[in-house]
Amino acid sequence: MPRADVVVIGAGLAGLACAAELASSGASVFLAAKGMAATHWTHGGLDVAGVASARTPREGVGVLAADPAHPYASIAADLEGALAGHLARLAAAGLPMRGALDDPLVPIPTAIGGLRPAAILPAAQGAALDPWDRDGLLLIGFRGYRDAWATYAARNLTATAWPGGPGAVRGVEVELPGLDDLRNLNARSLARLFEEPGWRAPALQAIGNAVPEGSWRLGVPAVLGITAHGDVFAEAERVLGRRVIEVPSLPPSIPGLRLFDALRGSILAAGGRVQVGFDVVEVERQGRRIVAIHTEAASRTLRLAADEFVLATGGIGGEGIRALPDGSLVERVFGLAVEAPPRERWFSDDPLVPHPLEAVGIRTDDSLRPLDAGGEIALDNVRVIGSALAGMHYLEQRCGDGVALASAHAAARRLSLGRAAA
Amino acid sequence: MIAGGHDAAAREFPPFSTDACIKCNVCTTVCPVSRVTDAFPGPKYVGPQAQRFRSPSVDDRSPDRTVDLCSGCGICTRACPAGVLIAETNNRARAEIVEQRGTSLRNRLISDTDLLIRLGSNVLAPLANIGLRSRPLRWVGERVLGIHRRGPLAPFSRRTFRGWWRGEQRPSALPAGADPARTVVYFHGCAVNGFEPDLGRDAVAILERNGFTVIVPPQECCGLPFISNGLYDQARRKARRNLSSMAELARAGCRIVGTSTSCTHALKAEYREMLDLVDDDARVVADATWDICELLVDLHDRGELDTDLGPVNEPLPYHPPCQLKSHGIGTPAMDLFALVPGLRAVDSDHDCCGAAGTYGLKKERWQIAQDVGAPLFDKVRASGAARAACDSETCRWQIEQSSGVPTVHPITILAESYRRADADRGRSWRRVV
Repeated sequence: MPRADVVVIGAGLAGLACAAELASSGASVFLAAKGMAATHWTHGGLDVAGVASARTPREGVGVLAADPAHPYASIAADLEGALAGHLARLAAAGLPMRGALDDPLVPIPTAIGGLRPAAILPAAQGAALDPWDRDGLLLIGFRGYRDAWATYAARNLTATAWPGGPGAVRGVEVELPGLDDLRNLNARSLARLFEEPGWRAPALQAIGNAVPEGSWRLGVPAVLGITAHGDVFAEAERVLGRRVIEVPSLPPSIPGLRLFDALRGSILAAGGRVQVGFDVVEVERQGRRIVAIHTEAASRTLRLAADEFVLATGGIGGEGIRALPDGSLVERVFGLAVEAPPRERWFSDDPLVPHPLEAVGIRTDDSLRPLDAGGEIALDNVRVIGSALAGMHYLEQRCGDGVALASAHAAARRLSLGRAAA
Repeated sequence: MIAGGHDAAAREFPPFSTDACIKCNVCTTVCPVSRVTDAFPGPKYVGPQAQRFRSPSVDDRSPDRTVDLCSGCGICTRACPAGVLIAETNNRARAEIVEQRGTSLRNRLISDTDLLIRLGSNVLAPLANIGLRSRPLRWVGERVLGIHRRGPLAPFSRRTFRGWWRGEQRPSALPAGADPARTVVYFHGCAVNGFEPDLGRDAVAILERNGFTVIVPPQECCGLPFISNGLYDQARRKARRNLSSMAELARAGCRIVGTSTSCTHALKAEYREMLDLVDDDARVVADATWDICELLVDLHDRGELDTDLGPVNEPLPYHPPCQLKSHGIGTPAMDLFALVPGLRAVDSDHDCCGAAGTYGLKKERWQIAQDVGAPLFDKVRASGAARAACDSETCRWQIEQSSGVPTVHPITILAESYRRADADRGRSWRRVV
């Protein structure tokens, strides 16, 4: 195995973005991941900072960065550059996004009929960001598709205060051609059907027939194609004669899958390698330097040597950090010190309101190098990025994607500078 | 402390790992079979979900029959973020069904490659091959046995690799004075033995050129076709005989090297994961087993590979087979291709060719296998290349038959490159004679 300049561990948004940036800057990059994950669980938009008191993502970042324990405190300045690079990369891969740091955070509908603040979304979800004026929202469900319930979501939205929202919300279930004969229907099988022109035409026809008179935007499950998504979406808007909003539903998320494919493709195109199913089981270290990692294999392990390592394995949710039965928390790859509350404070009455374990993670210095329990640099050639970082409540603060991108960019920039200096 | 990897309990009994499933459905998005047919509900449903209804203590030990549509490619296991051994769990579930309910004569027959080679790879091979090419006979084979008339079957060789090896009086045991560390036990597998003996000769020549003594001890089919068809008892008998033939050599320090990433994966992992072979013989053989490209790249990393390679000026679509991906060693063939002047190898970046061993031969699975591989066949054809490369035999035959582009093992390309280097220098290729 030829050695790489940088080994990135983890294939969520942070790891993919960091590897893509490093590869395009000319570094030899090997991305190794235990499995696919975070991208496939998310809505495909970018949560930068959805704090209640902020009108825009930038304001939200300002609020969060004021807390010295939050990752933004040291990497907020990297966000602008990170976002520009990321959006350009996605656009080049045929996955345009809309929105910017200074755009207003507006409430947009979720698959179960909730609202969440957003400012930066895939173009196919973008019509949810525009002022509704007198437009109504017609949510479309597909009969037999159990991961998006349009009538249920519409009822919830009708009962929800939606400031500046649509004039009316309605849900309708549409019967798409041929689905009756199918035994198993999931987001991917629908997305693939939408890529077949022969099936798509009557399917769009059926959706069109279900739209009543009036000025509606159509909320359609986010299954409008995978590789041919751009064409499928454009055709849907043209045929239906209405603006379409893709509404991401339960995992597996098709917008997330497109995001993964786009970033993976851009890493490969720049000469990097991406290997999924490569779990780290051993590391070689010399003092405060990592020399190589070993990944699990059928018999002997695979050795990956590099000058620099980027840890993007996620927090407890992504299994970058694991809670053991004895009440200890371990970082799975390098065994880094985990910043966490004592075990008796692991529990919360409400799992969604700032949960103490959400902020668990690795504490780093300003250049994202991990610190040990005594606050000293633990490893010189390791950078920690994404939700493995300590100090954020990404569910409440809606900052996971912004922190992922900013830290990925900060790490890539510092490593590139390091290489240029060397 | 590092907490990565599967724990020993899960590696020896994969269904233990299903408790870790978080129901995220990532496996469903990567499954090549559920991509093309809705008859298969996908890895999550037949794996961690259905596992809750499987028990040795109930009448119907494995009540979900759709698990039999799993092709066993293993892509789900590698994509799982929670470390669930999905494909391995499914394979065992199929074996439960077969043990409880039996299986078809067809599945028993196509699994028994040693028997097929005994019947076909001999002086009567030309006759057998006429049969394999005969449309009426293949039609009869489909109606009577359920082997699809267009299922990819390679022609038998007139002489087996083992027959040739014996005829040349080459060693079957460690020669006196040989250094075990520089000795390779060649595990030829059924493909080389009965269908592609030239590949075996190229592999031996390359190993010898790089300083290894090559020996071929008694061996049988690795048992993988039986494993894939749920016939674990038959597979275990094959495995036991292979282990007793090779364990001592492995213990002495010899490496076991194969040209089929399917056989080598069986030796490395499936004897333990599926067949419960966890004794010392199984462990030393697993630890000593190498895929040939893996070994050559390792030599190269140590600066010991003969890199006097001649030009092979052509584009080469390369498909890393699923079984290779399960080795967890990346794509060593691509690293070797990078050493060959003029060769423009391109990774297919496609999940699965569909063949999955014997899966694509079956009448009721053939169309699924074709649909799974269709984008790959299109890519190979569109490349305009004169040939393609792939490390596993049944994948090779599937790609060749369905794309119309001859498909070879990476070793065939490497041997050609060595041969050209020799020819350019006025040397003759060091033939294995």
